[in-house]
Amino acid sequence: MSASISTWAIKSFVAPVAVVSCLAAFAGQSIEAGSTGAGSTPAVSEAARSAQALVTETVLNADASPEVFARAGTARDALGFPAGPARTGRHVQDGLQGSDYDQVAEVDAAGQPIAMTQFDAAGRLVAALRFDSPAGSSRKISANAASNAANLGLTAAGVTVSGQARVDASSTGEGWDVHWDRMQDDVPVRGDETRVHVWQDGRIQSLARVEHPLAPAPMRRLGEAEAQQVVFRQVAKWSVGRDSSYAVGGIDLEWVGPTRPSTRARLGRPLSRTAWRESPT
Amino acid sequence: MKRAERLLVSVLLAVSALGATAGGSLALTGDVWSNSDSFSSRCLGFTDTYPQQLYTLAAGQMASLGYKPVGGALGPSFTRSAFLKNVFYDYAVYAHTHGDNYWAASGWPNVDSAILQDPGPTRCSSFPLDAIRSSAIKSATLGTPYNLVIMSTCSLGSSSSTMPDAFQIQKTKASTQRKFYLGYATATYDSSALRFEQAFWSYLNGAPNHARTLLQAFTYAVGLGGYAAPDSANPFQPNWWGNPNYNGTPG
Repeated sequence: MSASISTWAIKSFVAPVAVVSCLAAFAGQSIEAGSTGAGSTPAVSEAARSAQALVTETVLNADASPEVFARAGTARDALGFPAGPARTGRHVQDGLQGSDYDQVAEVDAAGQPIAMTQFDAAGRLVAALRFDSPAGSSRKISANAASNAANLGLTAAGVTVSGQARVDASSTGEGWDVHWDRMQDDVPVRGDETRVHVWQDGRIQSLARVEHPLAPAPMRRLGEAEAQQVVFRQVAKWSVGRDSSYAVGGIDLEWVGPTRPSTRARLGRPLSRTAWRESPT
Repeated sequence: MKRAERLLVSVLLAVSALGATAGGSLALTGDVWSNSDSFSSRCLGFTDTYPQQLYTLAAGQMASLGYKPVGGALGPSFTRSAFLKNVFYDYAVYAHTHGDNYWAASGWPNVDSAILQDPGPTRCSSFPLDAIRSSAIKSATLGTPYNLVIMSTCSLGSSSSTMPDAFQIQKTKASTQRKFYLGYATATYDSSALRFEQAFWSYLNGAPNHARTLLQAFTYAVGLGGYAAPDSANPFQPNWWGNPNYNGTPG
């Protein structure tokens, strides 16, 4: 946490100047009813804070949970991740993400994590990543080579995928994102995927497998034309009395999850259902 | 001469007293702003509840990091004037709203990024009416530093964004100062922003004593995957600048 000058020190120095400026500004104005003084931001309600779900981490040790540590070692080596001088294990009940998992981290001499693997209740690998950064390298692999590297890593880690991978160059980091979108009954599941991030030197930085539970397929599926009619009728209702127009840019069938928190809470474990998705232009 | 000296001493005493008061009561404020009206059924055709969820999440987690008080607003109180009036006092700023890299008043090729205030209960977002320009924010900050800035919007994490500079955060990934900026580089679904930010905060605040860094949390959240994106031209790409070793606590 090295820092040359603390933010507090600079703010403390400048604050009196600003207070003077604000006083001068207020002196020239009539009193604004209901306005808050500068710097007196309204506080967030306690209810909002108490709504925060908790993240609880329980220590796992290698003696009590040897199978978790064995899986972690296998995945680490399969993906070419660094081994640290020590490992730490946690069972995480993640109220923010709504998931439980076992997590093993490789840590360095200072106790900082250098790599991590996560497993679901069935012992399946759901995420793995390394925290270090790639050393400067002149080697820059192609999208095809990145896809091959991702395939090799998945095979070694015992993760199966099917279908054609999509490869995106990262505009903000280094390397390639290789994705396999999850399909069920030939319909994509929104957000579900197996994803591998490959550095430009060909090493794997992360692997993730995301699968939400799905509801049973509907007995009857709305056709595309019928779905468009439903949308047009609804949009016409919304547009009454407004100077607005709407055109459909695309329509796709997807499995999607409920978006409202109240619905998610009522369902307990939310199930994704098939839905037509229209893209406005 | 004597009169002048007395006046000078009086002024110095007044300034030092003011400084002591301001310094002594200086809070480690974090502001969380979320535009909900332009995500209402009136503007979208359906009610998008992500602005509420993102607001609640950020407010609680910022408090867990040690920012106090946590202010800001959800909905119509998120105005340009409220944002600019309060930003100087902030150590951390979070905004979930529409954002983009607009041409500056001087025109192409100069960029002046902006976020949009909440439009209120009677209309939807409009750039001419609602923009809070990065240049206006920079003026309001008076050049003071910020610890943590999160722009939960489209595009303000892209290389052309001028928003980091509004908070005196340089677009480097090797800063040694206590500052960190997080944004999304492309058009971004707010459902993906929520998933990412849940993962980010859960890792950051999941260990005691603020032992984890913001970059570790960022790396963790990116690595989890599962982020739906509008199209292939807009893959989900969060980005950061600042200090890779900073844990995000205020001060």
